[in-house]
Amino acid sequence: MQATTRPAEVWPGTGSKAAGSTPLDESLAICVRGLAKHYRSPWTLRVTRGLEGLDLDVERGKVLGLLGPNGAGKTTSLKLLTGLLKPSHGNAWLLGVPISDPKSRRSLGFLPEQPYFYDYLNGIEYLELAGGLSGLSGREAHESARTWLGRVGLGERPRLLLRKYSKGMLQRLGLAAALVHEPEILILDEPMSGLDPYGRRDVRELILEQHARGVTVLFSSHILPDVESVADRVAILHHGRLVHSVEPRDLAASASRRVIVRCEGAPILEIPPAWRGRVTRRPGGADSEFEVAGALELNPVLDWLLRSGVKVRSVIPQGSGLEEIFLAATEGTTPLPEGHEPHGERGPRHARDDSGRPEHGILSPQRTAVGGEPAASRRAHDRRAA
Amino acid sequence: MIAVLVARNTFREAIRDRVIAGVFCAGLVLLLATQVLSPLAMGEGRRLTVDLGLSGISLLGVLVTLLAGGSLVAKEIERRTIFNLLSRPIARPHYLIGKWLGMTAALWIVTAGLGVVLWALLAARGFAAHALSLLQSVYLTGLELALIAALAVMFSALSTPVLSALYTLGAYLVGQWSDDLRAYAEKLPPALASTMQALANLVPNLPLFNMRTLAANGETTSLLHLGLATAYALAYCACVLSLAAAAFESRDFK
Repeated sequence: MQATTRPAEVWPGTGSKAAGSTPLDESLAICVRGLAKHYRSPWTLRVTRGLEGLDLDVERGKVLGLLGPNGAGKTTSLKLLTGLLKPSHGNAWLLGVPISDPKSRRSLGFLPEQPYFYDYLNGIEYLELAGGLSGLSGREAHESARTWLGRVGLGERPRLLLRKYSKGMLQRLGLAAALVHEPEILILDEPMSGLDPYGRRDVRELILEQHARGVTVLFSSHILPDVESVADRVAILHHGRLVHSVEPRDLAASASRRVIVRCEGAPILEIPPAWRGRVTRRPGGADSEFEVAGALELNPVLDWLLRSGVKVRSVIPQGSGLEEIFLAATEGTTPLPEGHEPHGERGPRHARDDSGRPEHGILSPQRTAVGGEPAASRRAHDRRAA
Repeated sequence: MIAVLVARNTFREAIRDRVIAGVFCAGLVLLLATQVLSPLAMGEGRRLTVDLGLSGISLLGVLVTLLAGGSLVAKEIERRTIFNLLSRPIARPHYLIGKWLGMTAALWIVTAGLGVVLWALLAARGFAAHALSLLQSVYLTGLELALIAALAVMFSALSTPVLSALYTLGAYLVGQWSDDLRAYAEKLPPALASTMQALANLVPNLPLFNMRTLAANGETTSLLHLGLATAYALAYCACVLSLAAAAFESRDFK
């Protein structure tokens, strides 16, 4: 999942330039270039920007989680990719086929947010329809429908009408419909919303299972721990722009994650000068609490406490690294200005990086936390240090 | 193939809908009522049965088109079930064609069913020989309903269920008076006459599909009339669906 900077060429096998040009990289399942969606009110002619200049690459077989507060542009991005919205600018390709071509959705499975179904159909009929519309023959669709209905735990009553399904059952059916034709790309919009803990666990496991099968998964969610646990990379959208991307793996191994060590006693222990600023004592009751600024210091601190005869009661990681990154990336940023402005003009805060250069792909090495230390990441560091 | 799948689903929806079942039952009641009224028609019982029966079939078909067809696409957009369809490899024009085919098939089933009941009633009274004129009339009614269904699909793709039903009803009424519009155009000054003539040609020429008076007299129509009506209905539906597809293509589903 990274931006490619090679010059635009025609994707092999897609024919003419008219189909759209894209960077030549067959390892990409999803390739997005400058995708924008503006809505113009027919009465006031005011332009509202749903999405602005999105550049995004997802490699085949990877899982990308889209994060962002309400109205950040997550659903807009997913609907553009699935053909439900028409882009105002830019283009995108699914497995090399431009999204303007319905064939791009041949290997796509999509679960919309709060999916709605035909309540006059039963589970089997709905999945057969879904499979047939995605290109399966009648027999294949029937067999696959039976298989997937069973796999999502709805196989016991295949003839039950959908109007009698509970919300959780409908969500499972939606997932089955997205997977019934065994797609290569799976796009899920808030797949865990409204589900109980069992349902969320099942969805998580299903995403991981599809990942293991080599399916590319792009999903949006508000639930940070779920995103952190299944995504190879997380992209954070805010006010219609991609403001940050990060690999949860890096966060887990991050040396900058705060940890609280709770001890019994230890009122007179003096923190060694070498750790000043990195290890602090927090005010507590009968127990002592030490805040360790990063995981690197954790082992030496524990070693020191145990050697000092202190009884360590608990070691608590503070918050999620992703949560801190998310808050840093989305707090204090300015929304996109309303009213028409020429395409390509960027918003005041995100328009350029700190050096004044115009930004390119947000997932390009310059913009990721690993390669380029973007402003949002630095702000997160600053907050933690403070 | 995709359009056929959409059509099959639309047909299934229409058939399982209570509106169609209700209208079919109403049609049966109406046809039986003609048998009650026949003895009062002073020897014109057969004529009354055919006339009332065929008019009832046509009007009930229009009612189904307005109730079910008016919300055909608009309801899918409102309920967001369209997300599950258009996120699959379906070209939007195929989706509309499928919707129209499914609705038309359901209308034809209702029309044919009521037509068979009407023929059975006539046969029971010894008028089985009217089968051909009845068949021709029911066929033309089916063509008329297919044309109105195309208009309903177009309005439904661009508007809300209530508005599209109203627009469809308006088009149906104006279409019924298209001959009167042409006659009225001849009485207007030349500048206005050409405009009125163009308007009359634009609205569907529904009198073309009306041979109820002929059927009531036990007469049949020519094959040329049937061929022309078929060609006109197909061409009109193609134009309407093309317009609908062009407008639907750029529509966003938020």
